[in-house]
Amino acid sequence: MQKKWYRLDTAALIFPAIARRDWCNAFRVSMTLSEPVDPALLQRAADDLRPRFPSFFVSLRKGFFWYYLEESENPVQVQKDYAYPLTFMSGRELRRNCMRILCYKNRIAVEFFHSLTDGHGGSIFLCNLTARYLELKYGVSVPCEGLILDRNQHPPREELEDSFLRHAAGSALSRHEEKSFLLRGTRDGRGFRTLTTGVVDTGALLDMAHKWGVTVTALLAGVMCESVMGIQSERRPRKRCRPVKITIPIDLRRLYGSKTLRNFALVLNVGADPRFGDYTTEELCKTIWHQLCAYATPQHMAGMIAANVQPQQAITIRLVPVAVKNIVMNGIYRSIGEGGGSLNISNIAGLPMPDVMKRYVERAEFIIGPQRSYPNNCSVLSYGGKTYINMIRNIRESELERRFFSRLVELGIPVDIECNRR
Amino acid sequence: MYCVKCGVRLQDGVESCPLCRTPVWNPDAETEEKGYPDHYPHSHRESSLPIAAALTVIFAAAALVLLIVCLRLYGELSWGGYALCSLGLAYIIGILPAWFEDPLPEVFVPVDHAAALLAVLYVCLKTGGNWFLSFAFPVGIISGLLSTALICLLKYVKGGRLFILGGFLMVLGGASMLIELFEHITFGTPMFLWSLYSLVGFGLAGLFLLLARLIPPLRHGIEKRFFF
Repeated sequence: MQKKWYRLDTAALIFPAIARRDWCNAFRVSMTLSEPVDPALLQRAADDLRPRFPSFFVSLRKGFFWYYLEESENPVQVQKDYAYPLTFMSGRELRRNCMRILCYKNRIAVEFFHSLTDGHGGSIFLCNLTARYLELKYGVSVPCEGLILDRNQHPPREELEDSFLRHAAGSALSRHEEKSFLLRGTRDGRGFRTLTTGVVDTGALLDMAHKWGVTVTALLAGVMCESVMGIQSERRPRKRCRPVKITIPIDLRRLYGSKTLRNFALVLNVGADPRFGDYTTEELCKTIWHQLCAYATPQHMAGMIAANVQPQQAITIRLVPVAVKNIVMNGIYRSIGEGGGSLNISNIAGLPMPDVMKRYVERAEFIIGPQRSYPNNCSVLSYGGKTYINMIRNIRESELERRFFSRLVELGIPVDIECNRR
Repeated sequence: MYCVKCGVRLQDGVESCPLCRTPVWNPDAETEEKGYPDHYPHSHRESSLPIAAALTVIFAAAALVLLIVCLRLYGELSWGGYALCSLGLAYIIGILPAWFEDPLPEVFVPVDHAAALLAVLYVCLKTGGNWFLSFAFPVGIISGLLSTALICLLKYVKGGRLFILGGFLMVLGGASMLIELFEHITFGTPMFLWSLYSLVGFGLAGLFLLLARLIPPLRHGIEKRFFF
């Protein structure tokens, strides 16, 4: 039987090209259950999901002109979790499967190569995997609510589509923007990723955000911006400072009503320029919130989508061999890809799921790996009245985490700290 | 248990605050279970050693076949010497760095130049030419020094890339005159046949980059128009 294959979506094209021998763009979503996970049952649950989520059980293949995803012959094996999240996915591994299912004690985690899907798609897959596991383990019936999809339904075409192509504007927005301050540090040996999790009461976070009239994402981005500015001011005189911008992924499904499970998010770089004066935390949060309101609109994002879609549709680019495209894409990524922001804050607000699942799920987390050029990243997920702020880094220095979480405490938001490095 | 410096609450059993490294002392606390196991991945890098080894075998086999064919047909190396030199050069430039996990360009570029000079010396001796010492050697040394200096400056000097590239282009223009001088001495060709053009061309390009570095509107204009 002929294997199914899928073109990479517009956002996914860049990830195989920029992957290096020790780095690739990946993220992880996890759920902690009330009881230890049975790996054999989890394996069965994963196998059961294969027909419903065909675009997840794939391997990365190289064509002459483009990379593509091909239905994988190899089952996704449930593995034991590692000492740190998001261990390197090698090219050999991606040629077998583009995701990993890991378990450790009560936790189920899924790590995705970013060409497969984005945070929203990953959350849907994890919720459905956990739901199937709970059905097998406890015999409960999980209704198709929230992120849970009908397992017996054939995957509709709209879940597999590249939604970028449908929503691109006629004209493209320029990608040019001033480079942001980049954090630096001493690289950790053996590719170790240090994960510092700040557990915060969601109510306290919301109260603070509402007090200043901003969203939780804007509040966290404002505090982060202040922390990065503090680090920069210690290293450079004000005249030589650079703007500090936080990269915030915008889930375009909410703007355009798409149901795709592939990538459908774009990033906005928002922040402030310390050369023009000092900002209070409230001013930073408000300026970031206003920037998000101004730019996260369907029209503006359509222009940004067009900037990504138009080049890949040009016949002169489509006819270039993939090896040459890789070199060009690497150059583009190096010059404009990550320079616009100092770090990411990726916020999956919550995981809507049926009440029957909530009884078994104690905690949920979302972790994005460090980018290629900057060492820190931050991801946020709220579940069960708690917000889990995961800060990951591939350097030894914890200065950014210290400033960020201490500032939250100073603002009256208690923080519980957990770390995978003891 | 709280960190006295950061104010954050810490997990029981930690020895120091993960944020500020302030030691924590709480003898009554029981150690909480670790959030992650002590299970490390085998290797986080894909090694290039197998490819390097395979290519080495292919090159060695090609060199051996070449040697046997030449010795059987002509009883001497004949043209095979040139082919062996080319093979060796290609190996040193293309495959030798693959044996190293992190090959340093500031080491390999001078090595490549030295190998190229040796190959050229062989050709010179074989053809009975009298041009190695007065032409090929100084040109090779100039090229090696300039390219190694450029790599080191770009790698180790932070910022000022336009200055470095501008200065390099101007020095390259000057070096082209030196090369024509060696050509004139060795082969008796007329002086200033081509080097003046390259001096002016490289000099102007270098000057433009230096000006672009010094004049922000010009730099931004270039970025805007040549942005891709």
